[in-house]
Amino acid sequence: MSAPISDRPLVIAKRDPAQVMRLARLGSFHQCRLSFMRILTRRMTREGWTFSRPAFEIDVTGVGHAIYCAHTPERTYSLVAFAHNLPAEKRSDRVIAEAWDSTFTLFDGVPDADDITRLRQNIPLQEAGRVTEKELSVSRANRSVRLWEHVVSRLAAGQQPDAAEIANVGYLMRTTAVYGSGKLGAADREMIADRPECSAPFQVEMLSVFLTRAFVRDLAQHMANMRGRGRAVDLDSAIARTMGIGNSTGLGMAPFLLTHPILFNNWIDARETAIAMVRSVPTASAADVDLFRSLLARSITSADIWRSSHPLQIEKLALLRRDLKSLSTHVAAVDLRGNFPWDRLYRWAEKALGVDAQECLASLIQEPYGDLVDHLADQMSDSDAAAFRINGSMPLAELRAILARDYDWALAIDWTEKDAFARAWYVSEEKLEPRLGERFEEPISPYEQPLAPGRDAAALYGDLKGWADDSLVAAFLLVHPEHRHSVRRAQIVDRAPYAEIRDNTIGSDLLPLDMLRCKLAFFGATHFDPRSDRWVRICLFGNAPYPEELQMRDADDWPYPPLGEGIS
Amino acid sequence: MSHSLNEIEALSKCAARGAGLSWGMAEETGKAIRWLESHGLPGVAMLASLLAQNDRIAHGAVAPQFLEGTRGLDGIWAASSGRLCPLIAGAALNDCADRLTAGHDIEMSNVSHPLLAVPFAAWAAIHLGAPVTVAWGRFRGETDGYGLWVDDPIAQIEAATPAAMSFALAAPAAAAAPAAPRNDPVLAPGQRGHVCLAAWGHLNTFAHRTYAPASETSRLLGAGAGESDND
Repeated sequence: MSAPISDRPLVIAKRDPAQVMRLARLGSFHQCRLSFMRILTRRMTREGWTFSRPAFEIDVTGVGHAIYCAHTPERTYSLVAFAHNLPAEKRSDRVIAEAWDSTFTLFDGVPDADDITRLRQNIPLQEAGRVTEKELSVSRANRSVRLWEHVVSRLAAGQQPDAAEIANVGYLMRTTAVYGSGKLGAADREMIADRPECSAPFQVEMLSVFLTRAFVRDLAQHMANMRGRGRAVDLDSAIARTMGIGNSTGLGMAPFLLTHPILFNNWIDARETAIAMVRSVPTASAADVDLFRSLLARSITSADIWRSSHPLQIEKLALLRRDLKSLSTHVAAVDLRGNFPWDRLYRWAEKALGVDAQECLASLIQEPYGDLVDHLADQMSDSDAAAFRINGSMPLAELRAILARDYDWALAIDWTEKDAFARAWYVSEEKLEPRLGERFEEPISPYEQPLAPGRDAAALYGDLKGWADDSLVAAFLLVHPEHRHSVRRAQIVDRAPYAEIRDNTIGSDLLPLDMLRCKLAFFGATHFDPRSDRWVRICLFGNAPYPEELQMRDADDWPYPPLGEGIS
Repeated sequence: MSHSLNEIEALSKCAARGAGLSWGMAEETGKAIRWLESHGLPGVAMLASLLAQNDRIAHGAVAPQFLEGTRGLDGIWAASSGRLCPLIAGAALNDCADRLTAGHDIEMSNVSHPLLAVPFAAWAAIHLGAPVTVAWGRFRGETDGYGLWVDDPIAQIEAATPAAMSFALAAPAAAAAPAAPRNDPVLAPGQRGHVCLAAWGHLNTFAHRTYAPASETSRLLGAGAGESDND
């Protein structure tokens, strides 16, 4: 059936931004082939990266440092890990913490002794330290106290850890921040963006977490060996593989989607293009259909082993599990070979399933079509610096038309109702991190950040009244400098229609979780476990190959757990 | 010690906001200071000096005056207070870069800290696809958006004293013969900034005004935590 891919017409259009860019949908996204972790693991496998561990100097109390090198065909990146002995009372996932179980930096090249000395004085301090352009990221991680102790004590006693215990947590350590791109003096993304392995978004951060996972596994083994003195056994590699790296993510990450509109557009646009391309496939081969069916079964397992104690997530999960079973029943009954099978299936899902399962399906149908969609990863960075410039020559009639078309959802909100603007985003003095406050309960309005595009676009639209259609944006902005920010956004959305979240980001019913899940799904995270409406724990690289396994396993489908793990 | 350009941009943006500029202007200020520092020019120091001078001053007092009954900016640009803000005037210049055509220059009177307007001319040049010349006092410069060629050595580049500025499209090359690349010395963008640390401290003071003081209530309400992480 296969005509050359590039010759296939896109007979199904990309989905409408008005449908895609709602928070309830963005907050139901699932990982897909274009997730940043998978872009990285595919590249590492394809290019045959090799890995080495030139240092592992950890003492009997678990204190010391280790170096993990990733060798690409062109260069080397080194994770420098510092292990600490952290008293329980200091263990906090909050960004305001000041000490951690382990701290890390990804070093550009191979560090020498002087570098290690310098890093030892700075990395353990995290935000209170300072790094240089040789460092690409700074991060830290805390143990899952429960699982860590279980795994170390079992191994020390000569036994393997219990699979159910592992399934309940999913990771031995969770990162609580991974800083990149210039933070704390590190190299700007622009310094490395022209390297092929860094060109897709967040590849440095993902590599850092990938190597962190190997370090954490090795550290647990090391501690078990020292505790067990000869009785200890090696951790079974299949069990080890089920463990990812946890991540605790709070509000600091949420504004990113608003402050990087072009980049966000490019992520969404790549995924939407992939969905449209697959829906445009006229016929599917038996092998493609089989692959889809098997990954659907594994998605059901994934939903079954997904744990959360948050009421909203429990409700969402119940619906997702039910919908995936309906999908499975439907898929067993219909012919998926001819007559635009993926489009038919997607259209059925839009009517029969909730948003969460729709988005799961939208990701799943891409799986058999790597040849078709994987190259879209090259379009996910922001290379459009010119988009920042305001076009002052635009007549106000045109600006008005953009607002009426792309911000209709915002113009329909009554912004005099308190509930519509009950919240405000601000930056705390304490840790210079974004927070979300209650406008009418806390004195935060004077510090409000520009993270309410809907309200601000509506205000802009209001102030345009009385201006002639042929007046120019430049003249308007001289009188209304307060609208400069919104005019820029509107002009960006005009050329990048997926750039804007088309929902109220300061309403009393806002769930910041939706923004977090959207971004984390692009990372490739699974098993979102909200701890409140504004922070979430996730698992990264669960079931992924370890560095030394990349060449042994054909494992691009690692985000889907093996069948039969589920006990539901 | 060097700074990353992202750090320079982020702090400059916050400081501009803290000194009373609109968020949109603050965003452009961040990028302008980043542009200058990446070219080895003292953007941070100039910004600290400008913000101290114009602290919380009304936009209308230092912006080019909007002339009723015209399409905005006709004639020589001037501020009602007598002293134009280089950031606000620079942003307006870039907004209406399309007005820079052969023989149609943009003139401004009494621009303080004129160097701070140069990045906006650079962005206008990128938009126009042609170099733009910038002149004030004895300073003559030309930029294609990436590089900056300075004819008059650095003598006046750091002056804060208000000066008349003019911006013009560099003589266009004949259509058939694209301009030869310039091979005289150029300030080209680098990847790190070496900022004046005293001025950096001043920018931090301005930026600090944008941060909400912490309270235990806001800690709990604002980030939604409070559980033990020893699990």
